[in-house]
Amino acid sequence: MSIEIKVPDIGDFSGVPVIEIHVKPGDEVAADAPLITLESDKATMDVPAPQAGVVESVTVKLGDKVAQGSVIATFKGAGAEAPKPAPKAEAPKAEAPKAAPAPVPAPVAAPSQAPAAKAGEISAEVLVLGAGPGGYTAAFRAADLGKKVVMVERWPTLGGVCLNVGCIPSKALLHAARVISEAEEMAAHGVSFGAPAVDVDKLRGWKESVVSRLTGGLSGLAKGRKVQVVAGSGAFVDPHRLLVTAEDGSTQTIVFEQAIIAAGSEPVRLPFAPEDPRILDSTGALALESAPKRMLVIGGGIIGLEMATVYAALGTQITIVELMDQLIPGADRDLVEPLRKRMARKFENIFLKTKVAGIEATREGLVVKFEGAGAPERDVFDRILVAVGRKPNGKLIKAEAAGVAVDERGFIPVGRDQRTNVPHVFAIGDIVGQPMLAHKATHEAKVAAEVAAGHKSAFDAKTIPSVAYTDPEIAWAGLTETEAKAKGIAYGKGVFPWAASGRALSLGRDEGITKVLFDEETQRILGAGIVGPNAGDLIAEAALAIEMGADARDIGLTVHPHPTLSETLAMAAEMFEGTITDLIPPKKKKH
Amino acid sequence: MSDIEVKVPNIGDFKNVPVIEVLVSVGDKVEIDTPLVTLESDKATMEAPSSAAGEIAEILVKVGDKVSEGAPLVRLKAAGAAAAAPAAPKAEAPKAEAPKAAPAPAPAAAASAPASSDALPAIRGGLPIPALADFSGVHASPSVRRLARELEVDLTQVKGTGEKGRITASDVKGFLVGSGAGAAAPAAAVQGGSGIPEIPAVDFSKFGPVETKPLGRIKKISGPYLHRAWLNIPHVTHTDEADITEIDAYRKELDDAAKADKKSPYRVSLLPFLMKASVKILKEFPDFNSSLAPDKASLIYKKYYNIGVAVDTPDGLVVPVVRDVDRKGIVEISKELGDISARARDGKLKPEEMQGASFTISSLGGIGGTNFTPIVNAPEVAILGVVRSKTAPVWDGEKFIPRLMLPLCLSYDHRVIDGAAAARFTRALAVTVEDVRRLVL
Repeated sequence: MSIEIKVPDIGDFSGVPVIEIHVKPGDEVAADAPLITLESDKATMDVPAPQAGVVESVTVKLGDKVAQGSVIATFKGAGAEAPKPAPKAEAPKAEAPKAAPAPVPAPVAAPSQAPAAKAGEISAEVLVLGAGPGGYTAAFRAADLGKKVVMVERWPTLGGVCLNVGCIPSKALLHAARVISEAEEMAAHGVSFGAPAVDVDKLRGWKESVVSRLTGGLSGLAKGRKVQVVAGSGAFVDPHRLLVTAEDGSTQTIVFEQAIIAAGSEPVRLPFAPEDPRILDSTGALALESAPKRMLVIGGGIIGLEMATVYAALGTQITIVELMDQLIPGADRDLVEPLRKRMARKFENIFLKTKVAGIEATREGLVVKFEGAGAPERDVFDRILVAVGRKPNGKLIKAEAAGVAVDERGFIPVGRDQRTNVPHVFAIGDIVGQPMLAHKATHEAKVAAEVAAGHKSAFDAKTIPSVAYTDPEIAWAGLTETEAKAKGIAYGKGVFPWAASGRALSLGRDEGITKVLFDEETQRILGAGIVGPNAGDLIAEAALAIEMGADARDIGLTVHPHPTLSETLAMAAEMFEGTITDLIPPKKKKH
Repeated sequence: MSDIEVKVPNIGDFKNVPVIEVLVSVGDKVEIDTPLVTLESDKATMEAPSSAAGEIAEILVKVGDKVSEGAPLVRLKAAGAAAAAPAAPKAEAPKAEAPKAAPAPAPAAAASAPASSDALPAIRGGLPIPALADFSGVHASPSVRRLARELEVDLTQVKGTGEKGRITASDVKGFLVGSGAGAAAPAAAVQGGSGIPEIPAVDFSKFGPVETKPLGRIKKISGPYLHRAWLNIPHVTHTDEADITEIDAYRKELDDAAKADKKSPYRVSLLPFLMKASVKILKEFPDFNSSLAPDKASLIYKKYYNIGVAVDTPDGLVVPVVRDVDRKGIVEISKELGDISARARDGKLKPEEMQGASFTISSLGGIGGTNFTPIVNAPEVAILGVVRSKTAPVWDGEKFIPRLMLPLCLSYDHRVIDGAAAARFTRALAVTVEDVRRLVL
């Protein structure tokens, strides 16, 4: 029998915030020992224990508002030491303190708490489905917050697309590509290396060693946190059960109190493309079988252009075909232009506003039919990389069995606390929506884990920066000019051309641009876009400025080290302010 | 074609939820589920969707109106027959949108999943998912946004006091305290309307060494109260003086007896006499025991006489209240004062002991001074300040005689009290204090 401890008579007050909690479950307290501190008008008051006892649970949190009679804690009964499966059962209950009485008599009422695991079943307080950057971050954070976590992954290594077949291996190959092209370009400045001898097997081996170092590190981190990893594909059975089917066909059932779905996305396939080993997706391209002679990249987005950059450096003749009228749709046109120019020089062809109407696999090659102004009717390629986007895996996990809504495209809608329509099931990362980026997933993961652990948390980022690791790189954060125009948002801008940056010139690269958008009224930064080498690293400062609500002066008056590319952000702010001295300021402004 | 009234759907347990945004205008064509208004309850905002399709003929609410379930929102010109069954089926959807919706809407959604999938087109839109307030437009750093989530404070409602209107961590905490005491609204109103330019920051270290210490808790809390009262009330201070020679002699007799009390010695100061005298005069001038109604169109007269007493404590100013002074004697009041001032200095006063005054006295008599301007303890309308009495030559018509004179400083709310009334009140008070016998009349 536990005893409920309530707020005593505190006068005329209700809704008094709890500003301090002095006890935690398991504490032994004497009568009159303060349990919590309340703060009203001018006074703070301690609420004392009405009797001695052992705290079983504390049912209020900092910031909760209480009134006379609110339950603040429960004490274990003085007598019988109750054998308890109970305290666990409290947890989910406590998490829904504001729950309204069920509005609809539920036809298939979800059990409000997890059923006990039967023999042979694995039980988890928090189940994480997927071990990509979102999944493992959620699992580790939940474990660090005291939860028993089980993580399910269908691939043999942890790390998901990002570590295995995405961000990381592509960056290793892009580094090689950059070294090759920089070495080549130095010839014009008096330093020649001759043509590179590329050992594709060795390059692939190095890339794989980078990947395995990271994924191996993850396994260690999981072990260190006692996160149980179960290998196999997961599918929900009911709101508290997941069936995992391993590669060998064996199955295991996991019973969970709460779940975090982090099942990611996969490349979109072209329905009309034949099954042929010469047609690759990003995973196949990263596998780096060999460098073909001529390759067609379908899709002029970030993934397609990054892989094109790698293969071009390895000697492949690249043709890009993009349906829209610019590369990297979504980025501002002026930022894409320097990239387009450079790629036009390095690639065989770039066809915009062009559609691939058909692909035929023949022995001589892949015969592709185009529809578009500048493109030939047909052409033959040795390889095709399909990079037309990614689709969420929402339809592969039987989410409906748990009652989780999945939209027709496979996305799982969630709120700012990452909860799905089923309150004890969360979803994060690619599967909840665009942008499909690892750094979005990891931040959502922490929110989901924290909310699952009973903390109050929400995804409140003002910006998720985007980066194309092409050469030059393109990066943007916050509002883009394209978006501002489309939405009719008023803005002012400062643009700094890298042709005026000593550092950019000394890198042999003068095509870069740093552009910052400001709110004319508040002077606060709205967004920034950068094109040029290392733009991806430079954009982080803009992201911080956006989150902190910095204004143009804050940025311009921050002393940036000289000579660096980071100066260009400050100078763009000065261009907006009219205080720049390295160029003629655009106009106006008298300070 | 008949008109349809669209009403507030079931929004959970909430009543009198303010409308914070009207999303449609007359003439707009709306579909079923088009959001009409945004409501803001406790900590969540929710959109009330249309239960029928049609053209908006009239909008029946405006921003700031408070609505509950069933309140009419708009009148629609029906779009054909579609309007036949407005209320029933779609009423489910808004229900599910209620912020902290029940743990069990899931199966309902699942059951209707195939059919309703068209109703779930947008990510994070139109779904039975709890709606936390959107912080994307607020000027607050990530750590402050997180703190607000932890404390369940809606940042869109918090006014930033930081540089350039930035919301700081202490603004978030202050909001919590303010809203808990129900004090947020008037405070916000004052700040909102005043537009007073900030005092420019000065780097004092240019002029010599400095040290920064945080304000004490009471100072932090009382600051906004005093500021609010000072800005809201047109203050006038009237001064007069009372001859307390006789009453002070009597007080000394009582005090000597009180000090000698064997059981529990106490002290008798001048304050209980001033309190009793004030109550007598408040009865004669009931305007001084009133408050201006919030709409400022009427006066609320109080039929009780609770006197607030400003007490100086090491942590700052507090104002405990002695209740029903009209029904207590000098001895009882003296003992009570001794008790509450001791507890005030120890910080042990209960909140309810600092509420409910109808008139306040601030005495600096123990310290000194010749006169000062007390700030009216709003929503009261007058406050009496007294400073140190001194022996002064008083002309009795033939010669100067030494009399003990007490300066009286009455600050009042000129919206309620006229100067002549204040002069009469203060004179009457002085006359009463001059002759202790009047207290029993």
